[in-house]
Amino acid sequence: MAHAAQVGLQDATSPIMEELIIFHDHALMIIFLICFLVLYALFLTLTTKLTNTSISDAQEMETVWTILPAIILVLIALPSLRILYMTDEVNDPSFTIKSIGHQWYWTYEYTDYGGLIFNSYMLPPLFLEPGDLRLLDVDNRVVLPVEAPVRMMITSQDVLHSWAVPTLGLKTDAIPGRLNQTTFTATRPGVYYGQCSEICGANHSFMPIVLELIPLKIFEMGPVFTL
Amino acid sequence: GIGPIHPLQPEERQIGSVKLLGFLDVENTPCARHSILYGSLGSAVAGFGHFLFTSRIRRSCDVGVGGFILVTLGCWFHCRYNYAKQRIQERIAREEIKKKILYEGTHLDPERKHNGSSSN
Repeated sequence: MAHAAQVGLQDATSPIMEELIIFHDHALMIIFLICFLVLYALFLTLTTKLTNTSISDAQEMETVWTILPAIILVLIALPSLRILYMTDEVNDPSFTIKSIGHQWYWTYEYTDYGGLIFNSYMLPPLFLEPGDLRLLDVDNRVVLPVEAPVRMMITSQDVLHSWAVPTLGLKTDAIPGRLNQTTFTATRPGVYYGQCSEICGANHSFMPIVLELIPLKIFEMGPVFTL
Repeated sequence: GIGPIHPLQPEERQIGSVKLLGFLDVENTPCARHSILYGSLGSAVAGFGHFLFTSRIRRSCDVGVGGFILVTLGCWFHCRYNYAKQRIQERIAREEIKKKILYEGTHLDPERKHNGSSSN
């Protein structure tokens, strides 16, 4: 989960998120260099004694400041497209879970496991125990195995919602009447948090998502059924 | 930064981090510190060298800034390429170790197949 006043990305829990962090570092370095150049140009503009305002016919400069941004955009676009197509790769998921957004909770269906269905409500502050996270913890977590490709089918029963888990690099809109699909493979066990990411009414901020990722051996023993 | 495990707590990580222009975290971004340092060195060498030859201050500053950008970019791509290669090698090594642990002693053990074919 994010710590207080965190600005940067959370640590990665899936290979796609690792790639996204690498791309983010790459884009940020290019942005830093562009900002540095612009700040220097601004400094020169503010400290020059030259005041000629009718400069014209600077073909070389115009060529440079057209070609250079095009090259920069290509340098950014190529890795971006690579990751975009990587997220759409079909990787033969081990099983499928359906996530349905409601106002203001999530319903999860484990149809591969005998039709287990449960709701996941945020824990109200009065029901929090010491160590629980305010506005993040839920009554029933989504329990999943580590290192197994999982397919999430996401939809909504009423208005638009969005199922997001930042550490996995996931954000998929829950649209009524439409079934969106996303797949992921978690690389390490733990409890990971996300929040609804599409404005959906008064309690939009109070319908979090909690994934509990456990080793496959323990998952197969069936703890997810003990509700 | 990248990687699931960091030895420092988030608060400690924040105290140690230096953010250039307020957003580029050079401590926690792989290759950033290395690139910026070499870029600064390149900028100083290029700018000062140009000044020694031409005695033009303004143009030397421009050469210094240009040198910083080019050297930083060059070091950055070189370092990131090697970093990506290293990550791929680590992943291959991890997979091979996992396979070895799983298949050692079984009929699927690649070493047993190799030894069997060489003895024949």
